[in-house]
Amino acid sequence: MIVYDKNLLDNLSLVEEAKSLQSAGFISKEQKDLIKKELPAFKRQSNILVRLGFFLLGAFLYISICGVISLVGLSGERIFFEICCYIFAVVGFAVAEFLANQNYYEHGLDDAFILGALLNVGFAIGITTEGYEIVIAFFVAIASFMMYKRYLHLVSMLIFCIAVSAFLFYGMFEFGAVGKAILPFVAMLFAAGFYFFTKNLINKLTESYHYKGLLWANTFCLILFYLSCNYLVVRELSAELLGNEVLPGQDIPFSYFFYAFTFIVPAIYLVQAIRTKDRIMLWISFLAIAFSIYTIRFYHSVLPIEVALTLGGMVLFTIAYFSIRKLKNNEVGVTFKPDRINNSNALLNAEALIVASTFGLKPELKTESPMEFGGGGFSGGGSDGSF
Amino acid sequence: MIKFEEQATQKLLDKNLITENQYREITTYRGLNIFSLNAELKFFLYLSVLLFTSGIGVLIYKNIDSIGHIAILSILFVLICVCFYYCFKNSKGFQKAETVFENPVLEYLVLAGNILTCIFIGYLQFQYEAFGTHYGLATLIPTIVSFSCAYYFDNKSVLAIAITGLAAYIGLSVTPQDLLKNINFYEDQTLSYSAIMLGVLLILWTVYSSRIQLKTHFNIIYLTFALHIISIAAISSLINYFEDIVWLFFVIALAGSSYYFYKISYEYKAISLYVFMIIYAYIGINIFIFRVLEFMDFRDLWIFIIIALPIYFIGSIILFIKLIKNFNKEIAA
Repeated sequence: MIVYDKNLLDNLSLVEEAKSLQSAGFISKEQKDLIKKELPAFKRQSNILVRLGFFLLGAFLYISICGVISLVGLSGERIFFEICCYIFAVVGFAVAEFLANQNYYEHGLDDAFILGALLNVGFAIGITTEGYEIVIAFFVAIASFMMYKRYLHLVSMLIFCIAVSAFLFYGMFEFGAVGKAILPFVAMLFAAGFYFFTKNLINKLTESYHYKGLLWANTFCLILFYLSCNYLVVRELSAELLGNEVLPGQDIPFSYFFYAFTFIVPAIYLVQAIRTKDRIMLWISFLAIAFSIYTIRFYHSVLPIEVALTLGGMVLFTIAYFSIRKLKNNEVGVTFKPDRINNSNALLNAEALIVASTFGLKPELKTESPMEFGGGGFSGGGSDGSF
Repeated sequence: MIKFEEQATQKLLDKNLITENQYREITTYRGLNIFSLNAELKFFLYLSVLLFTSGIGVLIYKNIDSIGHIAILSILFVLICVCFYYCFKNSKGFQKAETVFENPVLEYLVLAGNILTCIFIGYLQFQYEAFGTHYGLATLIPTIVSFSCAYYFDNKSVLAIAITGLAAYIGLSVTPQDLLKNINFYEDQTLSYSAIMLGVLLILWTVYSSRIQLKTHFNIIYLTFALHIISIAAISSLINYFEDIVWLFFVIALAGSSYYFYKISYEYKAISLYVFMIIYAYIGINIFIFRVLEFMDFRDLWIFIIIALPIYFIGSIILFIKLIKNFNKEIAA
């Protein structure tokens, strides 16, 4: 099913390994360059900025091709509007196939055409069925799965996961009120089942080609599992879908279960992540904890925001400080020492940018009040007209 | 997953691309089973500083009438003193080259102290008009403090604050989100000139500091700011103003900066500068072509233009692939 030459895929993983070994300092730069030269490779952009740039260009190209086709088709009848998206999708598939044959892989150009084709499949089915969501989700799921299988395209895998979940949700809506009421539980069971299914597949893998795609699906399941029974999500969705207004003094059914779920799951993720040394799960657990706190603050104003921020900052500082002190001298296992091979330093490089965007000084002439500068926290407040 | 990485290492060995010794070293290291929380914990420290200082900022803002001013000022002052006390005690003093603290926590204390100082000065100005009605001074002083902190403690985040402060002093908001929203240049054309001047100044400073070998690793930050400030100012003026002389001036400014950053990104081997330079130059060229087309009679041409567009894009893609390939070859050498 994979269109690419397996040798090239193997070479890619070897070169990636050589790169990480070089940055870890196990092999020299000359050796890495030699390895890179020895092994024939894909036309691939590893830099995300460059890849985004080519993605944009590819998208422009795709749109302009569609423009030319429309120019020809406009002279035709109304029928053109009904089939134009199919034509565009076919164009997308054809160009994607062409690029793959030219050994473009994770280049940006191929992304543009694959994603564009999927988008057009969605539109085309939408036009034909007049926006019947479950059918759209079904066909998009099939198309994106084919795209993943053929081009090992990771974003297609993500779209596949989203489309399958959408299919499930709209399927439950078909059952009316009962379906909507049990939706959280069904979604939870589905996520859990799919999680263990993909986990199992990963463990059984002998070749690395599908590893990343399965990992994405696996990660998606983790997130879906947490969100499916998060109190905030459940309550807002039930208000949206069932029209259940929660009156003061009342709560949604099974509220204790949802509250407990909101807090126990991130904790489980965290413990499990540290235990199995799973970095992705660790990050998801951090995000889940943050979202759980947000959930509580959304319904119960425990503390005024400024006190919460200040205290939160202090607590976080203490946690980080003592963890660092504790882990500083560990030589093996969980440690504070930077890992030579897998490091997530990209995150730290973004720090200066984040600081500049949250705490950048702004000119006062425009903001009318000198209170504006100094703290990012001010900017929301605006001035009270004392100036 | 470790399994596949080990496989890859094994294959590298089989193909004789790494030596037996290296292979053994790598497997021993993998055997340690290290799970490093370095980046995560540092990020937590960083986040805690941001949360704490924002909280303090809002706290002061909301309670400006209720808590005594002296109380606020003294609490802030004590906090600042504590932060800087630890930083000075543990710092190795000013150095021209890149330095790092032995204890990573201190880096974030510098940041906290600096932001709190900015709040302190802002509060002083708001409440007591300490700098009279010279609001410029109230921006300039935090800027100077930030610059000295950035250079003394070698802190990039503080440097970014300092540069935004410098821009604020001349009336520009160069926080990334404002640059993206492009809010600066709509009202005031003269601001574009000052923006370009600021960019040029930043560039000149990098030239000077690399000559005297002063914190050369800061240059990339200055250059990033300069590139974005100059290019965005020029492009938004190209879109908004149509007097011919002025328009031509901005064309030249954009072309000049693109050429300079083309050279400089090779010198620094910085692909982020290179890519953004290409993007801005491409936008500029397209605006230029559009203006030229406007002079011709548009109505007869539009079918031709739509048909020519795919060819135009294919041409640009080929050109870009060439440019990127060249760059990658050059920095690998």
